[in-house]
Amino acid sequence: MKFDLVIAGVGGQGNIVASQAIAQCAMDAGFTVVNTETKGAAQRGGSVLSHVRLADREIYSPVVPHGQADVLLGFEPLEALRYINILSKGGKYIINMAPVPTILANMGIDTYPSEQEILSEVAARGLTGYRINATQAAKELGNVLLTNVIMLGAFTAIADILPAEAILHKLLSMVDPKFHEADIRAFRRGREMIAAQL
Amino acid sequence: MEKKFMLGNEAIARGAVEAGVKVVAGYPGTPATEIVDHCAQFPGVYAEWSANEKHAFEVAAGASLTNRRSMAVMKHNGTNAAADFLMHINFTGVRAGMVLISADDPGGLSSQCEEDTRILINSYAHLPVFDPSSVQEAYAMTKAAFALSEQTELVFALRPVMRINHAGGMVEYEATVPGDRSPEFVTDRKRFVMSAVVEKESGGELRPKMRHRWLNGKQAELKAVMEQSPFNWIEPGEGDTGFIGCGIGYAFLKEAEQIHGAKLPILKLSTLPLPEQKVLSFVKGLKKVVVFEEIEPVVENLIKKMCFENKIVLEVLGRGNYLPQEGELTANLVLNAIRSALADKPYEAAPQGKYIPARTRTQCSGCSHRGLLIALKDVVRKNGGIVTGDIGCHDAGTFEPMNLQSTIFCMGSSIPMAYGIKAAGFAKPVYALIGDSTFFHNGLTGLASAIYNAADITVIIAYNSTTAMTGFQPHPGSSSNLNSRINPMDPGAVCEAMGAKVFRCNPYSVEETIAVITEATAAKGVKVVIAEALCYLKFGRDGQISYVPKQVKVDAESCNGCSVCVRTFGCPAITIINNKAVIEESACNGCGVCVFVCKRGAIK
Repeated sequence: MKFDLVIAGVGGQGNIVASQAIAQCAMDAGFTVVNTETKGAAQRGGSVLSHVRLADREIYSPVVPHGQADVLLGFEPLEALRYINILSKGGKYIINMAPVPTILANMGIDTYPSEQEILSEVAARGLTGYRINATQAAKELGNVLLTNVIMLGAFTAIADILPAEAILHKLLSMVDPKFHEADIRAFRRGREMIAAQL
Repeated sequence: MEKKFMLGNEAIARGAVEAGVKVVAGYPGTPATEIVDHCAQFPGVYAEWSANEKHAFEVAAGASLTNRRSMAVMKHNGTNAAADFLMHINFTGVRAGMVLISADDPGGLSSQCEEDTRILINSYAHLPVFDPSSVQEAYAMTKAAFALSEQTELVFALRPVMRINHAGGMVEYEATVPGDRSPEFVTDRKRFVMSAVVEKESGGELRPKMRHRWLNGKQAELKAVMEQSPFNWIEPGEGDTGFIGCGIGYAFLKEAEQIHGAKLPILKLSTLPLPEQKVLSFVKGLKKVVVFEEIEPVVENLIKKMCFENKIVLEVLGRGNYLPQEGELTANLVLNAIRSALADKPYEAAPQGKYIPARTRTQCSGCSHRGLLIALKDVVRKNGGIVTGDIGCHDAGTFEPMNLQSTIFCMGSSIPMAYGIKAAGFAKPVYALIGDSTFFHNGLTGLASAIYNAADITVIIAYNSTTAMTGFQPHPGSSSNLNSRINPMDPGAVCEAMGAKVFRCNPYSVEETIAVITEATAAKGVKVVIAEALCYLKFGRDGQISYVPKQVKVDAESCNGCSVCVRTFGCPAITIINNKAVIEESACNGCGVCVFVCKRGAIK
């Protein structure tokens, strides 16, 4: 048994917290866990990719090979597209469809692809999954910083490798109690957004 | 044994502490930085940020000569900076166990270049190197290296790559620290004075040659150690094509083997020098081997040499002649190579991917560098000057949309290169832009050289009181070291004492900064502008900022959508929506530098 997850986003979106909640929860459940992050310039608006690998046997590479991920969580559509080749043929994606423009696109040097272009690129690879607007939902809940918690909740709706409640508890143990109520609501909201599409 | 999930850098620190390390010195550099931070957390361990890697290496050597185990920590560029010392301590050897951590960054993911420091340390300095394949092994190798260093009297090096330093995994560890020993310095000039001294007992030969002979004589001992090493092993498999995984290359090889789905003959090699007998026993009966290693064909070439000397006919493939010669290995690359090699076909590189709009690095919203960069850009746009750059967050000023500095090489290069441009006869002003940590690292001597040679340049020191790029480590210009509060060394006072004309400005005040740089440009000789403002990201958390925050807004009436603010400035908080500039309130930190950029006065 092995389970590979990658979380693609932009520095500051909180994908490292989300990946750590899953990794620590998996360790509690007795899995072998390996993870890594490509961040470097993440604090400065760069692309961030977190890898979380769980198995009941030895894991060698900290990096998920292309075509091997069971789930790709895209916190941002362009970042999801950038790493979509890591997803396996039978894997599932969840993409937050709220774009974060790039500096070069703002300047007119690059063109940020349209939603249609991104979706057809993904569809051309025969991959399937879910699209939600987690950023919008987080704003509705009162704080855009809840986006990662919504995505984490959404993840638990499609992956039963770890119990949803255990992941939520692990997340809560990592954050200030004053945010717990909002985090619980955001987590549930993420689950509901996927449940509505199942 | 205890078990804990830890990052590679924490595992290396733990291994060192469990081996009894007492003195740890380093200079920040991705991906090695956190090793020193972790060591500092253990009681009884003296850890420091040295001004540069050469000095870190020298501090560690002083401690080793005083009979206490020590470690020097750096990234590959740092090992270059420390190479002079490396080429002496290899001849003298050490007293207490001493380990050098030299972290490589295949693919240059967080570096100005990619290079393989195994060449510098082993091929060149003839010192042993461990190349870990996992976080667990990084712990075990670091720990083992201290005892082996003491046994052989040689510095042992660990060469982790970024995928080890920054990977997290479960580590089984002993959680015991050996008893301390007392410091003791015994003078032994025959060993520790490296000089062209006549050695009477050696028939009048000179000491450098005698110490070289000593080092060469050590190689047989090292080979015997590696032959017994638990870090090299053979895994039997099917077929007459063998696969050799070195360090992280082994991890990718095992990953690829699982996807490939058949048991392959595998030799895992993680030491230099190589265990010759093990290699020879592995290749027996094989027609071909493929070597997977980061970054250069070091092991590949050694195996070719070994086959030649032992009259073995074997096809040896690797990064020298088969695989891509640059960049990081991946499990996919290794899988592709396994399939190609088994089919007796050339390695077929994956086709170049389609460009996906990049997220370029830039200064943070609220960063003082942005004010400095835009001010300097304003000055050179008018006078046609050239800016040489250096390492640090301000280097993003070379990218779109700033496009300011014309060069970036290595730590401290900006100053000598700037006056080299003048020496070549370039008539317009030349500016060297350097950060404070880099200035103390390797800028001081460049400045001395410039002043001594009566250069005419303007050096601009971005003084933000921290080594921001690697995660806010303090440096000689900060108000603390790793252990206590200190009086910061003011780079301005230092430059003045050296004889430079010193000017000062707050880069958040763009007009003032332009005026000061212009005034400095007009003066003769070596001028230094100290652009002093605290790093917003580090100090802003504690409410220490070097500007008066204001609520900056775009007046939609006055904004004509010219987008100069986006095309020339690049603050992540500003975007153009429906042909009007918009400042995203949640991203704006109110530094107000952008007010200067809008010539229509629409940003207020």
